[in-house]
Amino acid sequence: MEDKIKSLLKNFPSELDQITDKNSLENFRIKYFGRKGIIAELFEDFKKLSGDEKPKYGKRLNEIKNDLQTKFDGKKLSVESEIETTVETIDFSLPGRKYGQGTKHILSQTMNEIMDVFIKIGFSVYEGPELESDYYNFEALNFPEDHPARDMQDTFFLSKDFVLRTHTSPVQIRLMENKKPPIRAIMPGKVYRNEAISFKSYCLFHQVEGLVVDKNITFAELKGTLVYFLKEFLGKDVKYRFRASFFPFTEPSAEVDIWWQPEGKEGRWLEILGCGMVDPNVLKNVGIDPEVYTGYAFGIGVERNALRKYDIDDIRTFFDNDKRFLVQF
Amino acid sequence: MKISLKWLNDYVDIKNIPVEEIVEKLTYAGLEVEEVIDNSKVYDNIVVGYVEEKSKHPNADKLSVCKVNDGKEVLNVVCGAPNVEAGQKIVFAKVGSVIPENGLELKKVKLRGEVSHGMICSEKELSLSDNHEGIMILPDDAEIGIPLVEYLEIDDVVLDIAVTPNRQDALSHIGVARDLAALFDRDLKLPEIKLNEVDETADSIAEVIIENTVDCPRYSAKLIKDVEIKESPEWLKKKLTSIGARPINNIVDITNFVLHEIGQPLHAFDLDKLSHNKIVVKSADEGDSFTTLDSKERKMKGTDLMICDGEKPVAVAGVMGGENSEVTSTTKNILLESAFFRPSAIRKTAKHLGLSTDASYRFERGTDPEITIWAANRAAQLMVELGNGKLFKGTIDQYPQEVEFPVLELRYERIEKILGYSIQNDTVKNILLRLGFGIVDENESGVKVQVPSYRRDVEREIDLIEEIARIYGYDKIPVIDSIQISLDENMNQMEFVENLKNKFIAFGFNEIVTNSLWNYDRSSKFGNPVRILNPQNNDMTHLRTSMIPGLLKTISNNIKVQEKNLMLFETGHIFISKTQNDIKSFDDFEEKEVLSFTLTGNKFSKEWYNSSEQKFDLFDAKGIITDFLVYNFSLEPDEILFEKGTVSNFEYYFDVKHKKDRLGEGGEIKKEFLELYDIEQKVYVFTFEVDKLKSLAKVEKRFKPLLKFPKVLRDFAFIVDSNISAGEIEKVILEKSSKLLKNIKLFDIFESKSIGEGKKSLAFELEYFDVSRTLTEEEVDKDFWSVIELIKKQFNAELRGKVG
Repeated sequence: MEDKIKSLLKNFPSELDQITDKNSLENFRIKYFGRKGIIAELFEDFKKLSGDEKPKYGKRLNEIKNDLQTKFDGKKLSVESEIETTVETIDFSLPGRKYGQGTKHILSQTMNEIMDVFIKIGFSVYEGPELESDYYNFEALNFPEDHPARDMQDTFFLSKDFVLRTHTSPVQIRLMENKKPPIRAIMPGKVYRNEAISFKSYCLFHQVEGLVVDKNITFAELKGTLVYFLKEFLGKDVKYRFRASFFPFTEPSAEVDIWWQPEGKEGRWLEILGCGMVDPNVLKNVGIDPEVYTGYAFGIGVERNALRKYDIDDIRTFFDNDKRFLVQF
Repeated sequence: MKISLKWLNDYVDIKNIPVEEIVEKLTYAGLEVEEVIDNSKVYDNIVVGYVEEKSKHPNADKLSVCKVNDGKEVLNVVCGAPNVEAGQKIVFAKVGSVIPENGLELKKVKLRGEVSHGMICSEKELSLSDNHEGIMILPDDAEIGIPLVEYLEIDDVVLDIAVTPNRQDALSHIGVARDLAALFDRDLKLPEIKLNEVDETADSIAEVIIENTVDCPRYSAKLIKDVEIKESPEWLKKKLTSIGARPINNIVDITNFVLHEIGQPLHAFDLDKLSHNKIVVKSADEGDSFTTLDSKERKMKGTDLMICDGEKPVAVAGVMGGENSEVTSTTKNILLESAFFRPSAIRKTAKHLGLSTDASYRFERGTDPEITIWAANRAAQLMVELGNGKLFKGTIDQYPQEVEFPVLELRYERIEKILGYSIQNDTVKNILLRLGFGIVDENESGVKVQVPSYRRDVEREIDLIEEIARIYGYDKIPVIDSIQISLDENMNQMEFVENLKNKFIAFGFNEIVTNSLWNYDRSSKFGNPVRILNPQNNDMTHLRTSMIPGLLKTISNNIKVQEKNLMLFETGHIFISKTQNDIKSFDDFEEKEVLSFTLTGNKFSKEWYNSSEQKFDLFDAKGIITDFLVYNFSLEPDEILFEKGTVSNFEYYFDVKHKKDRLGEGGEIKKEFLELYDIEQKVYVFTFEVDKLKSLAKVEKRFKPLLKFPKVLRDFAFIVDSNISAGEIEKVILEKSSKLLKNIKLFDIFESKSIGEGKKSLAFELEYFDVSRTLTEEEVDKDFWSVIELIKKQFNAELRGKVG
């Protein structure tokens, strides 16, 4: 008992002295004043003492306890006030240290947004080559040789039979060659057009192609699915129109416009995608019986949507990759 | 293509239909109206006015002040034209009108102290002609106050329609009227033709011979004599100008009119310039030169179809007539050509001549072979009426092989199967009849349909279904609210690369997207590039063989705008040619997907917490590569091998390998190479092949149990010769230690005179542990000191400072 008191009186002040922060103060409190702390332990020991020894220690232990408590309280005050002083001396006007973040290109983000709508409703994702044969890019898609329809797509030729794909539609053919219906897929990627580079056109752009082939696929399902897409992608109040159009690989074909009215500008119809029922010739080309199966296809331009959504007025901005542009998205 | 609504009214009664409804229906039906030019809006607030008084402007010599009566009030107007006089009927643009010539809105203004409430206009200001010699003066009988469009009878609405390549039938007013007739369920009225012929027959005067019947299946001609070449009457000029065609003379105007009316291009030859009164249709002689109407000399190819007379070519068939046979003011007798040419033949010729005319545009899309005589008669009738000509009897018509048009079966249930909704049988039939299709036979399940000659695009049942859908209206397609999806496998081929991208973004990189097309110089530095046969310009002649040009160009662009500190990456395809010739098969080139990243500039710039900037270096690249592979592919750092190599374009170059597989390559780009891009700072680039990473990812991740026992650490520093690499020492430590040594970390490199010339200090921390027990200090010390001694000996190293 006497030894314990001695060591307490020796260690307590020196340990208290070293305390400079709240954490160690709390640890110190637990060590000495806690329910199982050193002081509590002393009182436990006191209970076990014989009757004649008790009066000798009773009063003394209480005095020691009070004395130490006072010392501790004093320290507590000074530690707490010290912390406050430190806080006051921090210059909060200093800027935080720079961490920065990586960014995904806005075209990738837009493409992801478009894709996600379809992935959620069961579409698979397939890719294909950018350097394509005439067969996949044109012939299998029902573009007759030497037909004005080929002029719709200004093509970069690599040889008589190879081109830079002018649309993602060749992936439709590649997919149907390798997989029998049911098919429900999107096919994103880069496509190329031999057009003069200007604020409104670039030699390449990105598309998200769609293809669904099964029994009982109808034009009404195409419209329903694309209206769902428009609402998910552009908001449920989107105003749209489906109008008849022409693509060699779909029949009937349609183009979809949305009503676009940026703040402070005049509203107008903006073409946003092309679509249609897969032409029976295309199905025949890949050995699918058009009497049994029907299908629809669509192609959505990525750049066009990003230009509109973010009010960017020059398509070249996407490909300049100015860091000040990249970090905005 | 411009279409006048006023003109359309000649063929279908649409007077009482609002323009907006016409525009909407046509657009829905596939004739997309891109622009609506409404003259009553263009000339809004521009009226016939009367100059009541004219006086000199008090403060300006060249101006006068007029009192103009606009039918409602008399207004003060300042005018600068010298020919304005009191008592004239003039064109008055009121305040609020927009001057057609320049789009400026008129406001009430003070001109040198005099108020002007509008403007007296010239023809040029009204965009009516190029005449700017003073104001436009109207006849005295013009009614004061009526709108100008009404007075000039130009109260028209013109539609600019984008016609898709399949709709050659719609490239005329009657063609568009036919769609409108179907859309609004109205009758189509074709003009009546009454011919007043002389007794002499055409074929007694002239002769037509088709030598190339493949490219010219039909050639019809009419002869008109004693025509007067003169200006066309107002109605004809107005029709042509309303759609932007320039009137020339009555004969040329008539052929133009018929082209825009029915879509059949016609050509009028001066019969007296055709030798032997003969037309011979045949292929050109390769290399022949021929001067077209526009006075340009053209080099012909053997595949071009020519119209010749008895001696020489007189026209490029279907494209443009020749100067040698054109109708001039002295022409008396005319041979009128109305032919049908094979579309692709005309297309080829127009393309190689770089010449697109109203005629070639229609022929190459396919005209109606059955309309040639109707169109010729229509034009001949007008030449008689408007040119006082005399029409020879009959038509010279060469049509050796009649073109046949299919009879198609249309099943009602098939319509519903494709469209997903049903349309009443009667509606289906009515749409077909309105569009000019014939119903040959029918029963309860469908109809047999005769395709008209002008619908060469309709060849199959599905084409008929499209016709019905587009006329019935795409707006009427129900929007279904559920779809059925099959529980087939779901595939996402893009997911892997998408994940890679996200990892690099997590490192702090900005993703970029660059052009894949480069010039030979840039693209050939990293492989044999694929060449583009028809490049747009000399900077984009080849496909990229590497992402490096794109990265460097981006760095260069950014440095120009003071963005010098960059962490960029791009994923995409690169293309390597495996042949010196043109690509003939997929084996002749390789297309692969890669991910490249670059580091350049500062890693840390000077800030209040950084006293000095820190530049990116090779070890940032190495660290990113290591962490990328360790974190994502469950590799241990020591499984990743960096092997130094030498490649032009790189100062330092290394391959990254896992076991024997090369995952990628990169290093620091050579200065001379950077100079091509005007880059003066160091650039580190590294490229992963996506397929290699994919095969690496096939190893599935497994949980590695977490260490339950304490690690024992030992630090030490050696002074060694500068030429000894840290890696060499690490290798010896690893080899000579027991299995208890798990990791070595180099934590300090230090060179200073204080430790001696040519010497450096390397400080290592060794990490010992065992997964199954706590190590004793003694066994670690034993292992540790034996290695220390070995290193001292082997590298002549001096142990430095405190060891512990």
